Amino acid sequence: MGPMNDSSDLSSEMEVDAFRRLFPLRFHERHLLESIRPDGRPLGRARDTTLAFGAVASADGSALAKIGCTTMLAAIKMEVMTPTVESPNEGCIAVEFHMPPICSPTVRPGRPAEVAPVVSKQLSDTILRQVVMTFSGMIDLKDLSLVNGKAAWMAYLDIYCLDADGALFDTALLSAVAAFCHLKFPMVSLNDDGRVVVVSGESKGGKSGKEAVNKEQRKLNLISIPFSLTCTLHNNYILADPTAEEESIMETLVTVVLDSSLQLVSFYKPGGPVLAFTSAVMVSSDLQKAII
Amino acid sequence: MEYVNPEGIREDGRRPLEMRHLHAEIGTVARADGSAVFEMGNTKVIAAVYGPREVQNRSQQLNDQALVRCEYSMPNFSTGDRMRKPKGDRRSTEISLVIRQTMEACILTHLMPRSQIDIFVQVLSADGGTRSACINAATLALADAGIPMRDLVTSCSAGYLNSTPLLDLSYFEDSAGGPDVTVGILPKLDKVTLLQMDARLPIDIFENVVQLATEGCKAVANYIHEVLLENTKQLEYRRGL
Repeated sequence: MGPMNDSSDLSSEMEVDAFRRLFPLRFHERHLLESIRPDGRPLGRARDTTLAFGAVASADGSALAKIGCTTMLAAIKMEVMTPTVESPNEGCIAVEFHMPPICSPTVRPGRPAEVAPVVSKQLSDTILRQVVMTFSGMIDLKDLSLVNGKAAWMAYLDIYCLDADGALFDTALLSAVAAFCHLKFPMVSLNDDGRVVVVSGESKGGKSGKEAVNKEQRKLNLISIPFSLTCTLHNNYILADPTAEEESIMETLVTVVLDSSLQLVSFYKPGGPVLAFTSAVMVSSDLQKAII
Repeated sequence: MEYVNPEGIREDGRRPLEMRHLHAEIGTVARADGSAVFEMGNTKVIAAVYGPREVQNRSQQLNDQALVRCEYSMPNFSTGDRMRKPKGDRRSTEISLVIRQTMEACILTHLMPRSQIDIFVQVLSADGGTRSACINAATLALADAGIPMRDLVTSCSAGYLNSTPLLDLSYFEDSAGGPDVTVGILPKLDKVTLLQMDARLPIDIFENVVQLATEGCKAVANYIHEVLLENTKQLEYRRGL
């Protein structure tokens, strides 16, 4: 993360660091004039992304996603529940997004971060979107049903931010989608009372008469996979995939979510100066396609 | 229930005096001043240190030494069943206090008055011995942050089942109901800073088990030394020295 310095003089290097701290806006604008950013990326390039499946062994589906330094760990645990009366053949998904204090120096214990509920709401909107007409959200809730009217799956999706360095929503969405891809349904069997219970993998001193109903652990069917990209807008520059430093000084943030058929799923711009609408959407979609 | 079979092998294939596999990494959280990931077998813990920085709550500011705060949390998915309240429950509060007092004993707080050092520990995967893994991870994170300390603090747990002292209990052995001794020492100074035990144990066996746990701590200390040495070499290499 070395800042650019013109001469290799030690005294000038100290000045660059101090300049970066004291006048962050001018520091970044000097870089924008050369069409480059402090970490060496061109304006439209996103950071390196890595994805690891099965990060948490005890969960039914899990993934660790990293975009640059931003790290998110997502894990899904399945439980059996009785479905509601209005929709007896649908399961349920509960999405929770946590930002523990380790992720950023600005988060204090006992006081949740300001952005945490915002990202949480965005995530649940994207994953659970119910559209009436033709296509529906990423997951069909009917897939989560076990016995019509009696038992259905409740999926608890927990996403923990382990390092917050900008583009939180992108990384969170990526880890959530990956966790769902990795999800395997646990085995269930019928209890003596006629209730459906989860059978754990080991069978130490197993009780007789408990046979798993669905022996082959099937995977969840994802209809369309959403991808997102966050950009900041500053004067006339569009910066893709901002770091935390860039996010804190630039006024406007735009998040675009596309799905795998390149259709626009959601567009999110929470306030800030108005800009040319079409150009922003075009640039974001192009950058998105490049990433997919 | 048999925890040590007649040949002397435990449930996960180890011998009674054998520790689980250790693995540590430094500098994993880029935003933190110091951070580390510590693994003991299947127990994986990430620790981040922020500080010394300005005290956030002015009323708690100490004029002659640094304030040390610690928070321990387990995510919902880290144990077998999904936990409802990961943070505010009693066990988490107790472990936070234990870690804070242990680390406070070895940080040279008088060198940094009117400041605050935050230690945040997050359990990613729990399989017994989380307390020890947290203390080891916190030590590494403090070393990574460059905070002056008297010595490293290393910790290890030991128990006594089937008339055999066992080192480094896993969750299965811990839930057997036998005694569980956790020891934290300063290895170079050879002083004990943390000693906790639950359940009953005769005095002479207790001494044996504590001795065993102390040996385990020294082994962890050796490993941590190697990791820190390797990290320093990497830093030297990157700086071009």
